[in-house]
Amino acid sequence: MLNTFQQAQHPLLPRSTHDEASRQEFAKSLKQFVQQGLLPGLQPVFAQRAAKAFEQQHGRAPQDRREIRKVMEPDLYFQHYAALNRIAQELMWNSVIDSVERELPALNESAKAWSAKTDAQLRIDADFVPPRYVTALDIHCMPGGYASELSPGDISVAALYDRGAYLYGMGFAGPLNDDMGRSVCNYVQRKLPGFKPRRILDMGCTVGHSTLPYKTLFPDAEVWGIDVGGPVVRYAHARAAALGVDVNFAQMNAEQTDFEDGYFDLIVSHILLHETSGKAMPRIVRECHRLLSPGGYVIHADLPPFDLMSPFTQFILDNETWYNNEPFWGAMREIDQIKLATDAGFPADSVAFATAPMAILESSAEGAAGYTGDSTAAVADREFTAGEFAPGGGWEVLVARKAVQA
Amino acid sequence: MSTPKLKPQRHSRGKRPQFYSTPGLDDAMSMIIVLAQELSVLRDRVDAIERVSAKRGIDLAKEIESLELDQAALDARELQRQQLFERLYYVTRKEADELAQADSKQRYDQVIEETAQA
Repeated sequence: MLNTFQQAQHPLLPRSTHDEASRQEFAKSLKQFVQQGLLPGLQPVFAQRAAKAFEQQHGRAPQDRREIRKVMEPDLYFQHYAALNRIAQELMWNSVIDSVERELPALNESAKAWSAKTDAQLRIDADFVPPRYVTALDIHCMPGGYASELSPGDISVAALYDRGAYLYGMGFAGPLNDDMGRSVCNYVQRKLPGFKPRRILDMGCTVGHSTLPYKTLFPDAEVWGIDVGGPVVRYAHARAAALGVDVNFAQMNAEQTDFEDGYFDLIVSHILLHETSGKAMPRIVRECHRLLSPGGYVIHADLPPFDLMSPFTQFILDNETWYNNEPFWGAMREIDQIKLATDAGFPADSVAFATAPMAILESSAEGAAGYTGDSTAAVADREFTAGEFAPGGGWEVLVARKAVQA
Repeated sequence: MSTPKLKPQRHSRGKRPQFYSTPGLDDAMSMIIVLAQELSVLRDRVDAIERVSAKRGIDLAKEIESLELDQAALDARELQRQQLFERLYYVTRKEADELAQADSKQRYDQVIEETAQA
């Protein structure tokens, strides 16, 4: 695949020197190679070598993803694949930190200045303590995680995330990294015609990549993004101001927000739930029910459950748990999400999984830099392949509607 | 007194997995890929130089052959090489960082177990 997807520059995105940009491109290209050049080899390696070795020893085939991992981990091909995947991740973050570090402290000043230019609210709670599930490990190996600050008000980890998330997705999420938000917006437009939410909440918004499209789709709505990371919330507020979008941001935990009952007509989240915990996830689903107005919708775009996948596919997906500091990735896919929603009070007939088709094709239609019809179609029309970024076809969403009458 | 320079964290919190059974091979693979990265960066830069100068009608190959390095140039190159070594030994230094923070595989497994608890 050609290098066709370029990130849109905005005033807060760290600028790169020639060599920094080149290192970042290398990390991005390496990810592409791992997924296109090495990942497909895992299936024959498993079928022809690892599984046979297991059968010789045990007299039967490996039955679940745990047995597959046990037999794949000693295999040199798998070791090269997994090691290179991890190294690519490390090179990616480090290549962006070079740019962030060089631009400090100016980046912090710039964030403050942009935040001061907007009337949109920014609520930071000085006594807020981020939950352990985001601080115990630096999720997806991003040094510093979402919540650490080098100095009071520092946003360097957010700037790192903004650029790193683009490289991680190899640009598949669009020039503004907003494909998930835009795809859910498309879903709302197509599947819920006539639905006009007055107030919208995006939970776990990080730097607001997916939050802003909701304001574009519903310009009259009051839109809020919340996150447990102070730096990402501050950056999101400044970034939205720089992009001219009027969205409010607050540092809050989605398990327990301080909005009043029934305040929102639409609640969304994008790749949030798999970064929480077994205790937090049910609380978040209950909080969504509390916060929704009668007839309001919640849409969580995240990972589909393991139950319909082959053990080998599960094994590939679960690599994130073991090699990329994603402690909840596997366990989350084993949770009965439909039951979580009904236990929280959503009527059983209102809860379902669906697919929100990737909005990336529209980037090409709008003539965004580096987007051609062919390249975007190549990304959007892929078959689902475990281990590749972004499932082909679309994003998996869990949709639930609160009862119209209590 | 000037404000101390802000230094972002370079290592992610959490025990790094060991992929290879041969001691040192994980470190070596990281070094090799970093070297490949620098080679790629260099090729990009040479490509950029040639493209920029060609636009101005300059034959760089000839001038490069007759270039002599002064002290400032020698110092600049030394600094660049030291920075390369820091990237090259990323994994080795992460191990020291984990030990400095008393981090472990045991703690990583414990976090997975704890976060899964309903």
